[in-house]
Amino acid sequence: MRHAVIGGVPYSRLESGASARVHEAALGILERTGARLMEPRAVRLLADAGARTDGDRVWIPRDLVTWALSAAPRAVTLYDRLGHPAIELGGRTWYAGPGSDCLHILDHRTGARRTPSMADLREGIALVDALPNLDFIMSLFIPGDVDGRIADRHQMAAMIDGTTKPIVLVSYEPSGMEDGLAMAEAVAGGPEALRERPFVATYINVTRALLQGESELRKLLWLAERGYPFLWIPVTSGGTTGPVTVGATLALNTAGVLIGVVLSQLVREGAPIVIPGFGGDGLDLMTMVDPYCGPDACGPAVALAHWYGLPMFSLAGGSDGKLVDGQAAAEAALTLLAVAMAGGQLTHDCGYLESGLTGSLAQMAVCDEIVGWIRAATAPVDLSDEALAVDDIDALGVEGSFLETDHTLDRFRDRWYPSLFERGTYEGWRSKGGMTLEQRAAARVDALLSAHQPRPLEPDVAAAVRAIVERAEATAGL
Amino acid sequence: MYEDLLQAMRASIVDGDQDAAAEAARAGLEAGMDPLVAIDEGYVAGLSHVGSCFSTGEMYLPDMMLAARAMKAALAVLEPAMAERSAVRSIRGRVVIGTVKGDIHEIGKNLVGTMLSASGFEVHDLGVDVPVETFVAKAREVGADIVGVSALLTTTMTGQRAVVQALSDAGMRPGVKVIVGGAPVTRAWAEEIGADGYSEDAVGAVALATRLMDAAVEPAKS
Repeated sequence: MRHAVIGGVPYSRLESGASARVHEAALGILERTGARLMEPRAVRLLADAGARTDGDRVWIPRDLVTWALSAAPRAVTLYDRLGHPAIELGGRTWYAGPGSDCLHILDHRTGARRTPSMADLREGIALVDALPNLDFIMSLFIPGDVDGRIADRHQMAAMIDGTTKPIVLVSYEPSGMEDGLAMAEAVAGGPEALRERPFVATYINVTRALLQGESELRKLLWLAERGYPFLWIPVTSGGTTGPVTVGATLALNTAGVLIGVVLSQLVREGAPIVIPGFGGDGLDLMTMVDPYCGPDACGPAVALAHWYGLPMFSLAGGSDGKLVDGQAAAEAALTLLAVAMAGGQLTHDCGYLESGLTGSLAQMAVCDEIVGWIRAATAPVDLSDEALAVDDIDALGVEGSFLETDHTLDRFRDRWYPSLFERGTYEGWRSKGGMTLEQRAAARVDALLSAHQPRPLEPDVAAAVRAIVERAEATAGL
Repeated sequence: MYEDLLQAMRASIVDGDQDAAAEAARAGLEAGMDPLVAIDEGYVAGLSHVGSCFSTGEMYLPDMMLAARAMKAALAVLEPAMAERSAVRSIRGRVVIGTVKGDIHEIGKNLVGTMLSASGFEVHDLGVDVPVETFVAKAREVGADIVGVSALLTTTMTGQRAVVQALSDAGMRPGVKVIVGGAPVTRAWAEEIGADGYSEDAVGAVALATRLMDAAVEPAKS
């Protein structure tokens, strides 16, 4: 498992006492305003636990929230497809990966923005498998060449087949999620084995903090029953689905998060729920675009999730820009660094452009480079006797050259070196073609793809996965 | 005539100033201005200006909300005078709007409704999670010219196709026009499902609805 602890003084947007104040506001919202839950089983669970209900409306007492927060696990381990621990969510750890379901791809070979295909998706998955600094996979694109109703099954099958890295699963309807996890069970060797060594975390997108739809609630109940890890992600847009200020947006969204925490623990004490480490930002009220890189998106929610001590899913590495350019690199670097320093744990959306509508494999490679730099920049400094090397310093004296010492020759590779960022002389850079960052990133993508062979599935497992996709096709009448 | 007053009316909308809008309306009535002229040449002109500034990224969405609020304040003053004169603001068209079945997102749809009604359309908002049959029934009931179908999710946008189909099956097409919108919706999608138009935003939706109404009356003229 990667040593993924972020060193240094913690960076936090919320000062002492601020998180408690947001929590208090969220508790007040749940008791006074309440919520509307469009799945009767969820309402019944809460009523049985002492919540006041009226039809699909619920008001949740603070004692119930306090109990649920103490019952929810503080850490979640995700495994790789082979059953090895890969990701430890909890404390100041940080992992990075792509986002899911882009409607367009910015083709790194032609520069065209077009509809992605299954072939693009498979290439993207292979790239993430090959990139050394990315830790998990999401499904990158919605492929336009399969039936939209069951695209999620094709996406999951491609991820299982194309990488051994842990998977964050996005599905449309509960049936798609169940099919996706059936594929995972086939890989793990049954539900019990998958529960013990989960290599899939399911993403649940919640309509609004206080208005939770049938589909998302059914997913939560199903996953909590089985003890499979899931990400419970209400999104509140300041200025539209929430008040415009950071504090209010955060408090309202937190109320929606806490509903998920309570429900999950009522279904199964210890059910592994992961809460958002992003939010508090607003819709861009000039363009009506939901921005991915606003300065308020990264810090406050991460700090709050740390205050709760619950595992979190964060957002960084995307860009609101349209191209693999200076804006995209700057936004990816700024958001990744801020989230890493805050301790953002499972961080998605590397490779996103156009506020999540377009994905780029070249931008993914740029993000991999940035993530590697950040890991080096936040690693604790080794000050062992060996590393401090005062004996070497004394042996070589005041004028010595350290270039040829064993100490240097043994350890020079420990320093971070770029794979993409250009450090050569001007003439050196020219002689290699004088390429821009975007051109070098595109070349790196092609080089990695031609050299990398993802580890194949066992034939019987591959057949089982294929059968699940075919069954979904038959059910959809295809 | 009344150019200073009309200018004040337009400015009150652009500034989003309710008090100034009501004040200008009162001044207009005192000066003997026709309330319909005040609305069309004063306030609606101001609103169009705000709309186009929003489209070009020179104003914020809340500027449009403030403008609509100021418009309402002016209408509150003008409407009693219109009733006295039995003047009726002409309706530019009847529009039924709603978010498709299975989708409970409403902000974009509401915005389109606000802009259309402020621009003189009669808007019937069916809300969210609207079954296909309800779109058809309401369109028939009110004699809709246009049905606007919203969807935010790639999974629910197929509902837009179902509405187009159901209106055809009911024999109401092509008389009733269908316009579609929502984050994942594109011009190509609108064409694919046989809708009559698509717009990126609420301001564009007003322009689109106006265009469709104009096109609908053209054959009668020729």
